[in-house]
Amino acid sequence: MQSINVYIVKRLGQFFLVVFIGINIVFFVTHATPIDPVEYSIAAAASFGSTSPEAINMLRESLTELYGLQGGIWDQYLTFWKRIAVADFGPSVSAFPTPVSTLIGRAVPWTIGLLLTAIVISWVLGNLLGGLAGYYRESRILKAAGVIAMGLHPIPYYIVAFVLLIVFGYLWPVMPLGGGYQRNLAPGFNLAFVASVAKHSFLPALSLVLVGLGSWFMGMRALVSNIVTEDYVTYAELAGVERNRILTSYVMRNALVPQITGLAMSLGAIFNGAIITEQVFGYPGVGTLLVSAVHAGDYSLVLGITTISIIGVSAAVLIIDLLYPLLDPRMKAG
Amino acid sequence: MLSILRDLLRYNREFAAGAVLLAIVVALAAMSAFAPMPPEDVYVVPPDVPPSWAYPMGTTSRGQDVFWQLAFAIRNTLLFGFIVAILSRILSLVIGLVSGYLGGIVDRVLMSINDTFIVMPLFPILVMFYFVMKDRMSWAALALVMAGLGWAYDARLIRSIAMSLRTRQFTEQSVFSGMSTSQIVTQDHLPYVMPIVFSTTMNNINWSIGLEVTLSVLGFTNINTPTIGVMIYWANQHTAMTAGVWWWIFFPVALVIMTFIGLFLLAVSMNEYIDPRSRLSRMRGTRT
Amino acid sequence: MTAIASPAPGDVIAKPQREPVLVVSDLRAYYQTHYFGIVREVRAVDDISLHINPDEIYGLAGESSCGKTTLIKTIAGAIQPPLNVVGGSVRFNFGGAPLDVYASTPQARNAIRWRHLSYIMQGSMSVLNPVRRVRQSFIDFAFRHIGQPMPQFIDTIVAHLERLHLQANVLDAYPHELSGGMRQRVTIALATVCRPEFIIADEPTTALDVVVQKGVLAMIRGIQREIGSSMLFVTHDLAVHANLTDRLGIMYAGRIVEEGPTAEIFRAPKHPYTANLIHSLPRIGDTAPKKGLDGVPPNLAEPPPGCRFHPRCPLAMDICRRENPAMEPSGPGRRVACFAVTRGEPS
Ligand SMILES: Nc1ncnc2c1ncn2[C@@H]1O[C@H](COP(=O)(O)OP(=O)(O)OP(=O)(O)O)[C@@H](O)[C@H]1O
Ligand code: SF4
Ligand SMILES: [Mg+2]
Repeated sequence: MQSINVYIVKRLGQFFLVVFIGINIVFFVTHATPIDPVEYSIAAAASFGSTSPEAINMLRESLTELYGLQGGIWDQYLTFWKRIAVADFGPSVSAFPTPVSTLIGRAVPWTIGLLLTAIVISWVLGNLLGGLAGYYRESRILKAAGVIAMGLHPIPYYIVAFVLLIVFGYLWPVMPLGGGYQRNLAPGFNLAFVASVAKHSFLPALSLVLVGLGSWFMGMRALVSNIVTEDYVTYAELAGVERNRILTSYVMRNALVPQITGLAMSLGAIFNGAIITEQVFGYPGVGTLLVSAVHAGDYSLVLGITTISIIGVSAAVLIIDLLYPLLDPRMKAG
Repeated sequence: MLSILRDLLRYNREFAAGAVLLAIVVALAAMSAFAPMPPEDVYVVPPDVPPSWAYPMGTTSRGQDVFWQLAFAIRNTLLFGFIVAILSRILSLVIGLVSGYLGGIVDRVLMSINDTFIVMPLFPILVMFYFVMKDRMSWAALALVMAGLGWAYDARLIRSIAMSLRTRQFTEQSVFSGMSTSQIVTQDHLPYVMPIVFSTTMNNINWSIGLEVTLSVLGFTNINTPTIGVMIYWANQHTAMTAGVWWWIFFPVALVIMTFIGLFLLAVSMNEYIDPRSRLSRMRGTRT
Repeated sequence: MTAIASPAPGDVIAKPQREPVLVVSDLRAYYQTHYFGIVREVRAVDDISLHINPDEIYGLAGESSCGKTTLIKTIAGAIQPPLNVVGGSVRFNFGGAPLDVYASTPQARNAIRWRHLSYIMQGSMSVLNPVRRVRQSFIDFAFRHIGQPMPQFIDTIVAHLERLHLQANVLDAYPHELSGGMRQRVTIALATVCRPEFIIADEPTTALDVVVQKGVLAMIRGIQREIGSSMLFVTHDLAVHANLTDRLGIMYAGRIVEEGPTAEIFRAPKHPYTANLIHSLPRIGDTAPKKGLDGVPPNLAEPPPGCRFHPRCPLAMDICRRENPAMEPSGPGRRVACFAVTRGEPS
């Protein structure tokens, strides 16, 4: 039990380190900007047609605290952290005076939903197929699957999404071109709406799955072809244990352990992919919000999304890390 | 290293396929030297001409020849990927070798930082970078930033190799024969690490080109330097797809996919070559 | 069947004459690798014939990397590329049901596994699935064969473990939670619980300290007696052979060079290699330094022509460099492959 506590403390430490370094990068970048974000943003807000002096003051205050250059650098640093700690990024400029946190809060469930679906499908499917391909090396179908996975894997998310959009949106228009659901439907928990969401999420999820599938497939296949030469597998084969049992409980079960670590390690990259994919399909998640925030010159929103992304991804990694000992009995005694 | 490449070319189909794909891509990039017009000029040819004898890949709505535009674009894109890969290789080699070789507290600190960069979602950070830099965001600045963010994964790989090398017998011998740490690392270990550096370089070029294309397509880079991403950006700006100017999109996308697959094939076949198991059998083959 | 050149050894140990359980004839198994155009062949088992009788412990000795593990893997039908059988046959005979390992279907091979033929692998540290509890391994390996409902099956296992001085709670442990000696005994329990007629054991005691080793050997012997099975026992440790095995085969560079009743071989070794092995064993009160063999065992990818021992043999003659000595009978129950012995040259 001792070492599992040490493990948890270490993982927590790593989580805080990622958040700490990430936020520091954000601080550094935002304070290295050559233009004054405060005046720039207030001008931008005015151009969006807001006049309420009260709201403008709020905006000025939050912008000054987040990007302000007055006071010593240390003071700036501390006020910056204070804002971050309570996730208060002030009002958005482009959707003035809606607070940034509200905008992000609206987008996050879409992103989580999309990511979760895509990750689960690609991880499960990729590992399953990769495991089979590693174990039944002669199978033609699995070899072909390997070639397809290898072909798709190196292509970046953007290109895959873009090609899917062209093929299924323009050339053979069976899928909606973008958005999260049909415009004329009122959001709610009813069949029409859910079906519409599913239809709109299909292509974004598909492109995430297609790219992800390849890396899990290849990773698992390589792991399995190493594990099949392990003594415990040879021994089980010698003992005449059924092949299916060997494949599941001996080979794949052991390969799962590094594949979980792999999932934690690649979460950041998958998140990048989701952001890009969302933007291609105009899917109403964090990614689309980020890109439109950049185009609208919305400082607070860009800062908020970046910060939340860093915290969110590292929290997800932490959760996976903490689940890990459940999969690997060796962790407990260590 | 050269003999390894020759063996791979001769005996490994994937490596050969990757090399052919890349050779085509590089040849096209080299053609840019013979372009009849500078890449920035617009309306030098009639716009929206479909592929024909005069314009084998058609022309854009901005009056540019897609073929020559593509030659410049792929040249810049490759150059960009290459520079990022070289710079980040230096970082990952130094950090990986130092960490793996010294071990102990140095290793733990370096790897914590390393894992931090592996986990970090880099895309929003890059976007934010562009956002505060705006037009000052040059091609070179982007390369620097990406190199500074993209070394972590490979540093871990190189570290694990260094760790396994550290315990090998010849290292002990070298230590006894009085070689310094830097001598051991460069003379003993680099020959083992080089093939891995090669394959991670290919992967890293892929990664940086992918990000560059993505950022450019969104318009988050200098949109006046033609790259593959910038080409697609302009095509999107002119809604090339709906306007039926498909060649403006098709050729850059096809070319960049060729690049990705080519680089990737080189990387995996090299990986297969350096897989410790197959490598061990080959070493046995020369010793036993 | 006629390929076996050896006379029946039964009369020496005075055991009832029955048909052998295992007959290996002219077996050749090579590691064949192709890497980037380089083809390599390691002849780890090169023309080996032997047989093992019911109720007999046959020992196999030889220095590291002479091919012991390769031979018994081939006998067990446990080969994977790059290891290939190039020639010869391996035939088992369990209660009148013959099985030619390399001429039968995988199904037929699987049918005898663990029920009739079990195997204790070298390096028992890694033969148990690290993420599976010991209980699960027993269920995977033995449940099918024992044919009892689960509760009784577990009782059987627990009783069997007791014989190896293991408590029932090891069933709930993961392999890494057991000590090396416990793991070793668990593997032995796994291999013997189905009471197979034939047990192959590859260095099952090498990783253990002397005290534990003694205990484990006694247990193996006890279990073998109790279930009346035959055993092929491999170790490079001659002391273990002296205590345990009935007959002994000495391997050198992929071949068996001498075979006979263990006690006889220890008393009067014939092959120069065996003689050297036996004479170099330490004896109490013996202070003179032992003269070891010069040189190293040959590379099995390029074995020397003729007798593979000739570069190191003090008795080597011209013929030894040209021709390969065959295994020939030499005294009751004994065979040896050496020109100096079989051609009556001075020794
Ligand atoms: N997978 C393999 N590929 C190629 N050669 C191999 C392989 N496994 C073993 N060998 C070679 O086959 C020969 C015999 O090996 P084997 O494991 O049978 O020896 P051993 O007598 O069991 O040795 P030990 O006493 O160390 O267990 C050795 O020369 C070894 O290098
Ligand atoms: S055959 Fe010749 S070389 Fe071989 S052991 Fe006998 S005497 Fe020595
Ligand atoms: Mg062995």
